[in-house]
Amino acid sequence: MIKIEYLSKSFNKKNVINNLNFDVEKNEIVALLGPNGSGKTTLLNIIAGLQYPDSGNIYLNNTMVNGTNKTKKIYVKPFKRQIGYVFQTVSLFPHMKIQDNIAYGLKSLHLSNAEIKKRTNTLIEFVDLTRYAQNYPHQLSGGQQQRAALARSLVTEPQILLLDEPVSAVDPQLKETFRMELKKYLQNLEITTLYVTHNINEAFMMADKIAVMGNGHIEQIGDRNEIFDKTRSTFVAKFLGLNIFEGKAIKEQDNLLLVEINELQLLTTLNPSLAGKNVTITIKPEDIKLSTEKPSNIKYNIIPGVLTEIIQTRSITQITIDIGFPIKAIIAFSEIKQLNITVGDRIYTYFNPSILNVFS
Amino acid sequence: MTQNQKTPKNSQLTDKTTLIFLILIVTTYIVFLTLPIISVFLKFDLTQINTHLQNTTITDAIKLSLYTAIASTGISIILAVPTGYFLATRNFYGKIVIDSLMDLPLVLPPAVAGIALLYTFAPKGLLGPLFNSLNLTIPGYTIAVIIAQTFVASPFLIRAAKTGFEKQDKTLYNSAKILTDSRIKIFFTISLPLAMRVIISGTVMTWARAMGEFGATLMFAGNLPGITQTMPLSIYTMLYSDPTAGLMLSIILISISFAVIFTVKMLEHKRYGAIT
Repeated sequence: MIKIEYLSKSFNKKNVINNLNFDVEKNEIVALLGPNGSGKTTLLNIIAGLQYPDSGNIYLNNTMVNGTNKTKKIYVKPFKRQIGYVFQTVSLFPHMKIQDNIAYGLKSLHLSNAEIKKRTNTLIEFVDLTRYAQNYPHQLSGGQQQRAALARSLVTEPQILLLDEPVSAVDPQLKETFRMELKKYLQNLEITTLYVTHNINEAFMMADKIAVMGNGHIEQIGDRNEIFDKTRSTFVAKFLGLNIFEGKAIKEQDNLLLVEINELQLLTTLNPSLAGKNVTITIKPEDIKLSTEKPSNIKYNIIPGVLTEIIQTRSITQITIDIGFPIKAIIAFSEIKQLNITVGDRIYTYFNPSILNVFS
Repeated sequence: MTQNQKTPKNSQLTDKTTLIFLILIVTTYIVFLTLPIISVFLKFDLTQINTHLQNTTITDAIKLSLYTAIASTGISIILAVPTGYFLATRNFYGKIVIDSLMDLPLVLPPAVAGIALLYTFAPKGLLGPLFNSLNLTIPGYTIAVIIAQTFVASPFLIRAAKTGFEKQDKTLYNSAKILTDSRIKIFFTISLPLAMRVIISGTVMTWARAMGEFGATLMFAGNLPGITQTMPLSIYTMLYSDPTAGLMLSIILISISFAVIFTVKMLEHKRYGAIT
């Protein structure tokens, strides 16, 4: 497990990590998600012991590796932390064959040659690189190189695995395949894993839990669905690309909560503690439904509007509707064809009260 | 329209003129640089080689140059490679001053280097009392040749080693730090092998510079046949007494220098795909 308490680190008087607290349970896979420059890599480097924090405590498997115990300052060297680290850039030793790269860590453990060979081969097989064991790193594709780097980091049987944007060094057309492979390896490993990425989909795919990092600390941590559905910070909502509105919780109505955004009244799940307060409301673009006719079987939250923008990609379509203010919706490409709508058309937007996320 | 038609024609003309002009400059320059070398070869009578090789002054100079240059290069490797590593991997207050001082012998006129060494190692120099108490005299002995060569040539190797270590991806070092506890192991298994090519080319340059050292050796070590008279000093001495012997030594030095530069260029061209 990883436990971080009140961690701070600044560079040139700029706070990169600011009083950060964070826990990863044993054998849990947590994605550390955040925009570029939010201090994710610095955090990983500090956990690995490659950089020193200004203050704060770090525990790995209940052992303090950074911090102050009574008056004694503690710092455990990277090698002694029992971690595996896969770096963002392909960090294989370019002058060593894949097999020697993977065996490198074992040569410091005073093992017999037979044991080194056995453990190296097991890992080479695990990452499906048996054919390439005698090749040099530059003879491998980006994905194969990162798989070798994963094997090298696992060979010493670490307790904790740190992955820093492991997909970024892979060729664009192979990224998706590599993500699938990596997911498979991580599932089979059963090891405490901290997976750093700036890619929302990747975080969702790889991890059980997502921690969103911003402004030098963890803005929100939770189950991957909870992060999207029960967002508790404007920063997280913006980063995830949710619709965000400032409004006011008015009163209880029909066992629901009535909220008002720019004079538009909407109903959401009842939360009596919010009544009368200024609130932030988020709606996932994927949860918004559209209809050209006014839906007859729906009771709440039907809003007429005008379609103002359509942005198509191969699989999905993002549209913007003016309902007195702009709201984004993401729908399948096939749906837009079915609805037969275009910019300027009038359209009904509707959504279930339960999908409105409200926090003060 | 007319303008459009004219422009390519004009630019073609300018391109051609520029090219002719450029070729003229380059040719003149190449002739200027190679003519002196060619003239040395043209002047030399090949049949004389055997006679010269009977002359012990000449063979002594060749041997001495080889021995001293190998010794000073060896010392340079021991001193300059770790120094280059230190300068490449550490930041400290006043680093730029140390860095500049290390480069100083590269730009210093050899005569100044000779004077400086005399004022340091001669019996009346700064370290004179120390050597006197140990009953050691440096100037006038072969050790002085090695000191002069090391002083003048070793900064080439510091520079090369520093560049070699500096351009390494820091992540490789960090990866190794997680996998092993021993910094010495990291140095010998990661840092040094990755810098090896640059260090080898720096070593070759250092050796060549040591072979060619003249001014500092003449002033500091003296010009004693068999003891401090290296090939360049021998050429200088024979300029009037035996010019053809001087020519032969020059040809040897030119050939060595060319071989060295050629080797370094070849090494620079041949690199690991992944390192560059």
